[in-house]
Amino acid sequence: MAGDFKSDKIMFMIAAAVIVFVIVQSVFFIVKSWKRAKELGISESTLKSTVSSSALFTVAPAVSILATVFVLANALGIVLPWIRLSVIGNLAYETTAAQTTLDYWGIALNKAVTDPQQFATIAVAMTVGSIAPLLMIPFLCKFLQKKVGFAMNKESDKSKDAETSDKPKSNLGDVISASAFIGIVSAFVAREINGRTVATTNRLDEFGNSIVNAEGAIEKVKNITGSAGVVSILVLICSMVFMTILTVVCKKFKLSKLEPFIMPIAMFAAMGMAILFMNVLPESITGITWYEIGAEV
Amino acid sequence: MAKDKKYMSPREKDYFDKVHRWGIMWTIGAILMLLSIPVLICVKLGVLPDGEALKQVLPQLMTLYWLTAIAEVIAYVPMLGAGGTYLSFVTGNISNLKLPVGLNAMNSAKVKANTEEGEVIATIAIGVSAIVTTIIIAVGVVVFSLFVGPEVLQAPSIKPAFDFVLPALFGALAASYFEKYWKLVIVAVLVGVIVLIFSPSMGVGTLMFITIVATLAAGFGMYKLKWI
Repeated sequence: MAGDFKSDKIMFMIAAAVIVFVIVQSVFFIVKSWKRAKELGISESTLKSTVSSSALFTVAPAVSILATVFVLANALGIVLPWIRLSVIGNLAYETTAAQTTLDYWGIALNKAVTDPQQFATIAVAMTVGSIAPLLMIPFLCKFLQKKVGFAMNKESDKSKDAETSDKPKSNLGDVISASAFIGIVSAFVAREINGRTVATTNRLDEFGNSIVNAEGAIEKVKNITGSAGVVSILVLICSMVFMTILTVVCKKFKLSKLEPFIMPIAMFAAMGMAILFMNVLPESITGITWYEIGAEV
Repeated sequence: MAKDKKYMSPREKDYFDKVHRWGIMWTIGAILMLLSIPVLICVKLGVLPDGEALKQVLPQLMTLYWLTAIAEVIAYVPMLGAGGTYLSFVTGNISNLKLPVGLNAMNSAKVKANTEEGEVIATIAIGVSAIVTTIIIAVGVVVFSLFVGPEVLQAPSIKPAFDFVLPALFGALAASYFEKYWKLVIVAVLVGVIVLIFSPSMGVGTLMFITIVATLAAGFGMYKLKWI
């Protein structure tokens, strides 16, 4: 019975309320944007393909988020991680918040939390930690959009105006805008080429309990939990190749209806290749990562 | 003047003002909802949170999260647009889902961020993504916890697909810029790789700042040299 409170009826009701909030908010903004799009003369077919391609694009990352709900479920039950990962949360934040709080009592995250007060304290810590961007957005969103966002477009306009016979291949505004996007994307690409992830956890004894040192502090250990390697690079290359081929095919055969879907298709195809690589290639190849998983750093 | 009008006509200004007004209202609602979750848990369980534990834990978490939040807000807002920002920051998973979805939608519709066209397309895409994610997680939690068991997601036949979802996603996104900006993509990725050689565990938030600044500088330089 000790663990039942984590999957209590009220927890499911909170989860339902969160789901309703997220869906209603999203529908509200979609409806308003849709109306405005029509006023702007954006075609119905463009809007429909935005919806279907975004839905398709979301499926795979959403399933991987679902998988992370279960990572936290062992300690916190299924409902709290579900709620937390439906609003604001992501695995890294929630795991850190839960572990940091559990550290206070010297408990590791691989064990079920059975004390209601500890559970409530973790819920408070997760909420207060993750609420920061929501407090900032009302003050900063308008300012940043005006100062940074619109500046890009004004620049684009100026440079279009300044075009002469000796014109550059692009206009400056487009270059600035593309540079910012490419800057974001390349950080993720680089991490798949030679990055690694490290997690700080409690050092455990043979019974799975946290080790407390002579000063009374919990001993910490930093381990490599993920690393780029042969397969991550192969998947990256496959995804790029599929995307390029699909783009060329779409242009050559004028398949404008397929165009919004080429990115999700390239992504699914590359994920399929990941399954193939991991099941067909020998482990001596698939196991090559630049950093040893589990090693202390 | 005509140019200013094009990007901020009174009607456009009016629309963006409205989006900010709606966004602020929804954000206040989201904050209240979020804060009510631990309150309801405490009331239901009949306990108060451990004050001593929070006194020790919250300063650590707030230093970490709140600094990251500043970086995320500055980096993402100009890309997501107004409506996209208000939606994304409530539903989370921005870098691994909402941002790529928004970029993909604007790319496909051939509209630019921070124009009204970009604003509405990105908002629709991110809204759809938020709904689909919420439904998948809700249905998945019920199905996997009640009927199938979460270990199905760990089956060797499908696990690699989800282990490698990020390279699959960002590879395709990077390739979408190849046609016009391949020189810039190569420089940007190289900068990221070189930084990671010296600091392999650097978080993506920090790394992103470096690659954005470097790519902006490279883009500006290449433009001046008429390379792009």
